[in-house]
Amino acid sequence: MITRREVLQGLIVSIGGASALTACGGVANVVSTRLGSAARFYSESEMALLSRISDLIIPRTETPGALDENVPGYMDGLMSDWANRETKASHRQALRRIMQALDLDAGGDFTSASADVAERTLAGFDAAVFDEDGDASGYKRVKGYISQSYFATEGGALEELKWVAVPGRWDPSVDVS
Amino acid sequence: MADFDAIVVGSGMSGGMSAKELAERGLKVLVLERGPEIIPERDYVDNLAPWESPNLDNVAQDEIDQHYPKQYGGVAYAIKESNKHFWVKDDEHPYEEAEGTSYDWLRGYHTGGRSIMWSRQVYRLSNLDFEANIKEGHAIDWPIRYEDIAPWYEKVETFIGIAGSAEGLPQLPDSVFQPAFELTDAEKELKAKVETTFPERNIIPARIAHLTNATEEQRSLGRSNCQVRNRCHFGCTYKAYFSSLNATLPAAERTGNLTMVHNAIVQSIEYDAATNRVTAVRIVDAESNEKRSYSAKVIFLNASTIASAMILLQSKSETFPNGLVNRSDQVGRNLMDHVSGAGAVGLMSGFDNKKVFGRRPSGGIYIPRYANLNGQDKPYRRGFGFQGGSAPLGNAGGQIPGIGRGFKEAHKNPGPWRVNIGAFGEQLSNPENRVSLHASKRDRWGNPLALFNVTYSDNEYKMLEEASKDAVAMLEAAGCTNISANDVSLTKPGNRIHEMGSARMGRDPATSVLNHWCQAHNVPNLFITDGSFMVSSACQNPSLTYMAFSARAASYAADLIEAGTL
Repeated sequence: MITRREVLQGLIVSIGGASALTACGGVANVVSTRLGSAARFYSESEMALLSRISDLIIPRTETPGALDENVPGYMDGLMSDWANRETKASHRQALRRIMQALDLDAGGDFTSASADVAERTLAGFDAAVFDEDGDASGYKRVKGYISQSYFATEGGALEELKWVAVPGRWDPSVDVS
Repeated sequence: MADFDAIVVGSGMSGGMSAKELAERGLKVLVLERGPEIIPERDYVDNLAPWESPNLDNVAQDEIDQHYPKQYGGVAYAIKESNKHFWVKDDEHPYEEAEGTSYDWLRGYHTGGRSIMWSRQVYRLSNLDFEANIKEGHAIDWPIRYEDIAPWYEKVETFIGIAGSAEGLPQLPDSVFQPAFELTDAEKELKAKVETTFPERNIIPARIAHLTNATEEQRSLGRSNCQVRNRCHFGCTYKAYFSSLNATLPAAERTGNLTMVHNAIVQSIEYDAATNRVTAVRIVDAESNEKRSYSAKVIFLNASTIASAMILLQSKSETFPNGLVNRSDQVGRNLMDHVSGAGAVGLMSGFDNKKVFGRRPSGGIYIPRYANLNGQDKPYRRGFGFQGGSAPLGNAGGQIPGIGRGFKEAHKNPGPWRVNIGAFGEQLSNPENRVSLHASKRDRWGNPLALFNVTYSDNEYKMLEEASKDAVAMLEAAGCTNISANDVSLTKPGNRIHEMGSARMGRDPATSVLNHWCQAHNVPNLFITDGSFMVSSACQNPSLTYMAFSARAASYAADLIEAGTL
């Protein structure tokens, strides 16, 4: 199994610099399905978009972020190995719609927008989508994939969610206030 | 001379119990299992972490279409990439449905059968159930009453281990319990308000076949207490939940009297008219296609309700031209299941500062039947129970607004609690609901395909309509918000995986297949103790009842062998 350290090292190598792991760079954060190999499903522009929004939705904080955990790469595998033709087409269409909307809102190429602009643009788009009924753009589903993929990773599960493999006991009422 | 004292066909829930009881009585027992061997150390996948299963542990969508359209369509919640080997491939094990009908035949062919994939809720039947048919004049009367089976419930429960609470409810007799999984605060609130608003209704901890205070006997079989991982559908290396693979088969094996043969698909049972006895079981090897037969003094059919009926129907002779012990023409008929498709979900606030520790297995609450308890006061017959539970909304699969740190950390906050309840209703027996042999289609081993013809009656529709309204009313009474209840849509017959009734017991050989010992009326050394014997379905999960009847019948059969009667 690849350790988190190896993932981070691989990411840095594959995208050319540590700064790309944050949302502050102007360069799109492209990651691959397997570190060091090309994406199998996503095009370069799709991977750029997915990497950018993954990083903005689940950034690195005190715990790993979506890029630390190679969420775009995980999703590349999901689309390549799990999705059928219909799901692939619908996912690709959703990415196209999201990209168009974000480019429009950002006043240019969202994936190369500054960190502030990118964050503001996605936050506004996210709020608008969740204010409406349904999921016309497909953004909610894409966000769901990002979220589920992240929390299924070692860093997301262990460090962020504090997932315990063997709880050993049941406590139905844990006060967290 | 017979090869064995007893042959048990099937190694699942009831077959394991039959084998254990027979072997512990000193009989040499052969268990025939149609599927391959499951070796827990090799085949259980319960210790996989989330990141060790690719694709969110989802089975590829094209693979579902090709191999699992029925299985996955029926229990998508249980079939994952890592445990798909527990479920049959529909294209390898096909069946047919009569025009205009649909049936979910959901299966696992391997050591332990479906006992390693079940959801583990266990409830006793009561005389409300055993007397329902005779009081209503429906179908035939059960040939036994609660008092006949109660000691066997107790024996089985002591062995398998059940987490639950004594409630003193006449319609749902208490079992032998180990400590229950305590209700969450939201469930306690639901219980308090529902029981106040509807005094005839009770909300109790679900009764589940998990060890919470393992006995010495259970520990001697390598079993230990539940580790609260909720990985049960992937096997359990702690052997904390009951399955025949975890408990009854090892218990039988340690007697030194058990022989197990895998990949043995039973094609028929040989009958000797001269002695009026079944003498042997004919099988075809699933891998080599070799045909063999094994002989025994007594044969227990525990192949599951549908498969046992199929084996009887395939076992034709001059004496039984319509299938073994089928003079009554009841074999394959009266096929029942439970019916769901009504329920409600809502949000409960006031507990936003509360979380749980541990992942409680198999639901949390049970609402025992409350309809028609004291006579007929509903526009439908019989009744239903609800299964349900609660959990913090928390991580909603990314379906909450926001990005960045706030979104990320929101997943750690409990948020409002989501409460859900879903009905399990009784299905009335109907001789027209049946499984039969397809006239021309065969499987790869040359066995006739099962042909299902099962539909619901108005009673099930009326019952579920009321269950839906009741579910909403209970959540309203509890102060839930955002309550939603989809339009009632009955689950397909078979979908609850509680199939039963295809060789019912009764007093009259003209209208039933088995007597009150689950012994064939016409052939004294043939017993059937899977769900086939059920005369009515009640609304409680039936596995416990199958096991209690199996233990009782096996003890009786052993008595007969000891006495030289068989």
